[in-house]
Amino acid sequence: MTFTRRFIVAALGAAAFASAPFTAVAAELPGNVRLVIGSNSTGGDTYQAASMVADALSKQLGINIKVDAVGPNEAFKAVGRDARGTTIMLHHDQSYLGNLYGQRGYEDIFDAYRIGPTVAINPGNAYLVKKGSKYETIDDVLKAAENGTKVRVAIQPGGVSEIGFSAMKNAARLAKPGSDENLVAVNTGSQASKNQALWDDLADVINGSIQANEQFAQLPADDQKAMQFVWITASPDALKQAPEAGMGKLSRDDMLKYAAPNVAVPLKDGENFDFDKEFFFIYNKKMDDGIVKQIDDALAAVYEDGKLPAELKKAFFIPDFRPSDAARTHLTKKNDTYSQVIADIRSTRASK
Amino acid sequence: MDILSIVTPLFVGLIVAGTVIGIVFGAVPGMTATMAVAVCLPLTYSLGLDNGLALLLGLYVGGISGGLVPAILLGIPGTPSSITTCFDGYPMCQKGEGEAALRLGIVSSLVGGLISLLVLYLFAPPLADFAIEFSYVEKFLIILFALTVMAALSKDMLIGIFSGFLGILVSLIGTYSVDVGGNGEYRLIPPGMENLLDSGFSLLPVLIGLFGLAAILDDAENGIPAGQKASDVKVGAASAFSFSMFAGQTVNLIRSSLIGTFVGILPGVGGSAASILAYSNAKTFSKHPETFGKGEPAGIIASESGNNGLTGGALVPLLSLGIPGDSTTALLIGAFTLQGVQVGPLFIGNNPTTWSAMIIAMLIANVVMFAVMYLAIRHVARIVTVPKQILFPIILMMCVVGAYTINYGIMFDVWTLLIFGVFGWLAVKLRLEIAPFVIGFILGPNAEVYFVKSLESFGDLTIFFTKSWIAAVLWVLIVGSIAGSVFLSRRNAAADAAAEAEAEMEDAATS
Amino acid sequence: MGDLTHVTVDFSRSHLIFPEVIGTILVILAVAILIRDRRRAMGSGRYWREIFARMDKLRFFGTLLLTVVYFSAMEPVGYRFPNLGLGFLFCSIPYLFAVGFLYLHHRTFRAALPVAAMALVAPTLVWWLFGSVFLLTLP
Repeated sequence: MTFTRRFIVAALGAAAFASAPFTAVAAELPGNVRLVIGSNSTGGDTYQAASMVADALSKQLGINIKVDAVGPNEAFKAVGRDARGTTIMLHHDQSYLGNLYGQRGYEDIFDAYRIGPTVAINPGNAYLVKKGSKYETIDDVLKAAENGTKVRVAIQPGGVSEIGFSAMKNAARLAKPGSDENLVAVNTGSQASKNQALWDDLADVINGSIQANEQFAQLPADDQKAMQFVWITASPDALKQAPEAGMGKLSRDDMLKYAAPNVAVPLKDGENFDFDKEFFFIYNKKMDDGIVKQIDDALAAVYEDGKLPAELKKAFFIPDFRPSDAARTHLTKKNDTYSQVIADIRSTRASK
Repeated sequence: MDILSIVTPLFVGLIVAGTVIGIVFGAVPGMTATMAVAVCLPLTYSLGLDNGLALLLGLYVGGISGGLVPAILLGIPGTPSSITTCFDGYPMCQKGEGEAALRLGIVSSLVGGLISLLVLYLFAPPLADFAIEFSYVEKFLIILFALTVMAALSKDMLIGIFSGFLGILVSLIGTYSVDVGGNGEYRLIPPGMENLLDSGFSLLPVLIGLFGLAAILDDAENGIPAGQKASDVKVGAASAFSFSMFAGQTVNLIRSSLIGTFVGILPGVGGSAASILAYSNAKTFSKHPETFGKGEPAGIIASESGNNGLTGGALVPLLSLGIPGDSTTALLIGAFTLQGVQVGPLFIGNNPTTWSAMIIAMLIANVVMFAVMYLAIRHVARIVTVPKQILFPIILMMCVVGAYTINYGIMFDVWTLLIFGVFGWLAVKLRLEIAPFVIGFILGPNAEVYFVKSLESFGDLTIFFTKSWIAAVLWVLIVGSIAGSVFLSRRNAAADAAAEAEAEMEDAATS
Repeated sequence: MGDLTHVTVDFSRSHLIFPEVIGTILVILAVAILIRDRRRAMGSGRYWREIFARMDKLRFFGTLLLTVVYFSAMEPVGYRFPNLGLGFLFCSIPYLFAVGFLYLHHRTFRAALPVAAMALVAPTLVWWLFGSVFLLTLP
């Protein structure tokens, strides 16, 4: 969304808008599309990814796309009401994780909606400890749990923030059945309250992100706010595509040190757990195949062109385009993997 | 770094434009500073960081300040943080003193903005370190302290407190959101309404329903009596305003500005709490607290210096911890990340130029805000003379626009406006009190999270008293505020009882 | 002392703690008010009859009815012109005129003219400014 487009839109004003063609022709996107996102914030990563993609897509197709940060519940409702392609949605893994964790307001998206293309990864999901903590690595955490020490982990329950924690529990369970009970969730909300939980000594490990916590990792150890990364959940494949300079003082090589396979959180024998927070489109179940293809093709061209991927990288996203069908297969696989992890840690709890 | 290289004509122009647009957003009932920043955020991508921030900070300062206009002239808080401005500003306006009230508010806004800016510039990092001493417990006590204003605002203590707690209960309807650390479960939703009420009632539609729509319904019930005539409204030389109105208010002005700043510094306490706390303090320490709520200039001074004090304060945790102090500064993070700049504890050290640019932008924005509003007031104050058949439909429409757009296009928010409009009208008839209800509604969600999380984390009720010296100080303030309200209410009750006894005797005589 | 004040929070039920606390306080306050104001509460029937007798029923219920119709119509109308905000524009014009007309004390043609002008200009301006310049979503 650039300066010029806005001003042109403003200048054209009412008349142009009223006469803008409302295409009744089937199988084509209408001239004015509303992109609702699963976040209430216009300052967060979802909005950022959505506005970059929407901008590129609208230029490619010559239409208007307006991004509205209505939050997950309202976004699902809005896209569920409208099969004409006038309302489409963009969200990330939370959309199916919420369902796996049994959160209110989340349905099985693979069943209730149509999955659109994936567009980007935010590789920032991470876990941190206080600098000088007795847990230097995620291995220390798992060992402590194995030896019967309670380790408290601050997360926001029910989704992206919890999945890494579930993986830790799963790893503990694999090492020594029952030791997963020693990993205790401290349920908090925003990043601020997770940080605060660490400073208040209410948590030993917190969920965070490279973007929000990197500067705390740079602080000297005698600063009470100083933190240290122990795990970056992104897959090595995704991280290898990050800019070489990384973020702040954390270069790409540094990041890889905190990620699999260097930091191993076993998923099952011989396989490590990883988690990429991926952004993708979600459509109404009955959306026309023609429109789906139109968006797929337009995005393919946009990613081919290279301007959007460069912009995404500048904002610390990893470009990650997959057309709808491939995206569906890919996300279904992720869903099944995480569903198994969650089921396994639940079953041990139930059997005790 | 060279100051002159930052302060280009474009830079200043963007601040002016931002401030003016911000004032318009703040002044339209239902539109907020947050919304102004949100709609202009995408523009900053092409402007670059320093110029983009100039625009956004102008919007922020303008938006927070503009809220006083409808609060005083129409009795509708233009933004949630100007709620306490209504309490005294609107009664002043009804007495024809609208212009004086506006000028009081604007001067106070400027002072609040400048004091907080000074605090931001001089003490940002150490203050952020102090702010993180506040755990769930201290934050709960701050909210509790702000809640004591319910008692102070009550005309009838028992009913006022009942109304306040009712406000808290209504604010809890919906989901105990995981975003604040809750468990994501529904509560207090009538069966079958889950699909509508899962996110509860939004604050802004509730406010404009209670203050905007309810007032219009009340007027409609009374047959739309003629409004104020131009001759009733004191403008220009006839306005009672003079700077001598600030005599004896220096302490109030500085205290309120600092309270606003401090509330801004505490992440997660919320912008509206700033003016509520400032107002409650002004009343507690006032020599004539009984005049508050009836058009007391000190109330406007406290409220407006408090909410503008927020602006500098909320930037402290943003720039020294990377954590936003209120909902508007949360959006500023977006502006930084759009440019690939990290905000966090090292921001000020790593980006000295941007830091200076922000301080300068805030300074200019405050001055521009003052100049623009001060000059425009004489004309704006005449709004009250617009005939109601013209004014009311427009207010109704603006309320709809505000309610619909606050969460980026949700129809239920518009229905919320109607529900609370009718509720507000009914409540007055039932002798419920709106002011404490609103305070309860605003503070309820935070009170819940910090109360429940305190118990969850510490597992003992005594923690509220033993956590820290900060908790002890807060308890002194809480007890002081409650004692003050009880004392005052006793004194008023004694006066009322005498009057009522007289009325009852008359009653008995007539029947 | 230590045992008395000790609390264990069950996270899965923690959404009910605060509503229960507040609900209990409300019930206590409500009982106190009913006891104190019982005379006034008994007379509430008469009180409401008086209000209804006195009120300007046309303007009051007219405002409510028009508002309900306005809110109900906005989204269905807007659905026909997706994402253009025209539901807002097309519904606001008649609504504003109707409310303005209802509030007129002398419903003459001359008096209705400024109301009609307002009803045309205000929504159009708002629709253009917020919908097209600031790109906010309208119904």
